[in-house]
Amino acid sequence: MRSCAILTFFGGLTLSQHATGADALPKPREQSSSPAERTPPDKEPRPSDAERALATGAAVVPGIVVHGMGHYVAGESGTGTRLLIGEGVGFGLLFGGLSVVVATGASKYFVGPGAATMVVGAGLFGASFFADVYGSVSPDADAAGRRSRPPAWMETELGYRHVSDPLFAYEDFVFQRVSMQAGHLRLTPSAWFSADGDNARYRVEGAYRILGAIPSALDRPVLNDELDAVLGLVQHRFVTEHFTRSSMELAVDTRYDLGHVGRTLRGAFVEAGVGYAFGRIDYDVQGIDVPADFDDLLLASIGFGAVFRGMSHPGSEARIYYDHRHDDYAGGLVLTGIPSGVAGHFGADARWFFTPKVGVSVEAEIGAALVAGISLLFRQSGAGPAGEERRVE
Amino acid sequence: MRNKLWGLVVASVLAQGCVRPAKERAERDQSVGVASSGELGVHVLHGLAAVRELEPGKLVLWSSAPGFELELDARSAMTLELSIQNCLPDVEVSSLEPDAEVSPRSVEPSTRKSWNLELPAGKSRFRLAAPDADERGDFHFALMSDVQEAIDRVQDIYRRVNDEPDVRFLLGAGDLTRRGTDDELGRFRDELEGLEVPYYTTLGNHELGTHPVRYQDWFGRGNFQFVFRGVFFTMLDSGSATLDPLVYDWLDGWLARARGSTHVVAMHIPPLDPTGVRNGAFASRGEAAALLARLAENGVDLTLYGHIHSYYEFQNAGMPAFISGGGGAIPERFDHIGRHFMVIDVDADRGVVGTRVVKVEPGD
Repeated sequence: MRSCAILTFFGGLTLSQHATGADALPKPREQSSSPAERTPPDKEPRPSDAERALATGAAVVPGIVVHGMGHYVAGESGTGTRLLIGEGVGFGLLFGGLSVVVATGASKYFVGPGAATMVVGAGLFGASFFADVYGSVSPDADAAGRRSRPPAWMETELGYRHVSDPLFAYEDFVFQRVSMQAGHLRLTPSAWFSADGDNARYRVEGAYRILGAIPSALDRPVLNDELDAVLGLVQHRFVTEHFTRSSMELAVDTRYDLGHVGRTLRGAFVEAGVGYAFGRIDYDVQGIDVPADFDDLLLASIGFGAVFRGMSHPGSEARIYYDHRHDDYAGGLVLTGIPSGVAGHFGADARWFFTPKVGVSVEAEIGAALVAGISLLFRQSGAGPAGEERRVE
Repeated sequence: MRNKLWGLVVASVLAQGCVRPAKERAERDQSVGVASSGELGVHVLHGLAAVRELEPGKLVLWSSAPGFELELDARSAMTLELSIQNCLPDVEVSSLEPDAEVSPRSVEPSTRKSWNLELPAGKSRFRLAAPDADERGDFHFALMSDVQEAIDRVQDIYRRVNDEPDVRFLLGAGDLTRRGTDDELGRFRDELEGLEVPYYTTLGNHELGTHPVRYQDWFGRGNFQFVFRGVFFTMLDSGSATLDPLVYDWLDGWLARARGSTHVVAMHIPPLDPTGVRNGAFASRGEAAALLARLAENGVDLTLYGHIHSYYEFQNAGMPAFISGGGGAIPERFDHIGRHFMVIDVDADRGVVGTRVVKVEPGD
């Protein structure tokens, strides 16, 4: 059922592309294999600064209500229509999911699929707005579109995380992650260690790439679509609070390159994930034998991002996202009004590679706690010269 | 540099506001039961009653608990009409000071009573309690939460509660109203006149639809503890899917105080939802488990929740747990529960003796 929601999400965008077929992009492989069939990027008309400013303004007002207005003003009516359809599909999913939740009184039998549909719908609704702004602002989408993101066969991360949670004493963490990919398989162990040693979170993630580039592939697509099946194991130790939470999760994570939707959106992407986690809480209360609790968790996330261009090296990108998780450091969003507890957290992150192998990342999340972090990244790229930009000309 | 410092300060304040949504309510709790006019100072110990009216010669309190102590500071000797709303039908007021006198004034509906107090100048202390408040032995109370938009039908439930002869009071785990406006809270208070026992409750997330939150002006603290017949009841404000750090400080004291006795803890949003994908629960699973570990470590005997409009019986951290959100708000479908309340039998020495669910059919 959750997979249906995510398929509907991208189906909405793809269908909208077909619905406005005239200026829809050719398929990415066609772009890659038959570059002569398309206009060279530097020959495509580029809007002036004034035109971009006007389009950007329209993308915000009235674009915040009618998504795609920026592209209409910029003369990219096909892309504008597709974004408008995306907004409609997103709103429909959001309203549909909400209707299911309300009509069933948040029944335990329907609330999971209903909530997942709401997350995806809200994500599509938001993504169509951000995509309109991105496409309107972007001075040269092709610069990003020409840049392929080579998957690394190994990436390591070492960083600092600060967690501001008024309910827990921990604040400072060391974060470590190693990601190794061989063919379609990826293994990613990671860990958070609190400076005081009173809290640690370990995660091992195994993934199988169903669709998308792999490190050994020589023919990288211009558009970076990805579909991964992910199995995750998590153990989170709260020493001071006398419990440990362990969980196993199964999810589908995907990235959809918005270059499919229009040429102005090359370099932008939408990420989404849905899944299910099953957890166990073991209590370690002195002198009392406390039986374990079991719980489960809906995994649903949606994000919008764009790759960096210019001085940065491939793999550099920024993202804003919503993550429905309630079991990590950020937890779910707490609010002063009525709707508190149900929503997950919001976040933003960015990665910038100074060289093909070395970069930094920064991130921030807001939920029940505030999380901020910075990391050093080291990577070994896949086939071909490390970090070479893929140019389509 | 100065601008950067200001930026940090502003960011810090905003961050606190984001991660401490219940802070304002917790701080407001501390002033519940405290009031003064030119001639009289009022202090309800532990905030177990809200001051609804304070006029020359007249004091009206809304009781949040079966008993409490009242401290009055009169500028000069005076006669005071003390009205208690939402009290046990057999409650009595006794003077803890030799110079003060108490005489019953009137008996209104069974949960409203008045007395005349002859106050000397200076401080006087009174105790409001049922005659058997300090005895031990089992007693029954009921649990009913989540009325919200079903206020028009709530008398069905009250009539059914009135039919339970042994129930001493009704306990509530929040969501009395849809948005917590004065009109809604006033309507809820008026409807309680149909209930023959008092309703002691905390607030839910549906009382948070106005700013500032009005609940405490009507019904008192969101976080408090009271004792009845040796059983401790701790009510917590989890309406924001979290507890404020200030409340955790109080909770440590309340848990310590209740050790060795039967201890019932009630709050609106449960730490964990038995249906985790719904997450009608705390925003942070980490906080949820930390709270449950703390309750279990201190020997809490029973945990009661609302928020989910159904009935669930389960265990959390080994403690018996019940979610009872049967007050009439949009029900969870396909659970075959509907409107209901619980009747719980507790004993200070034996713990939870029994529980049962009473379904309320339309027209009951």
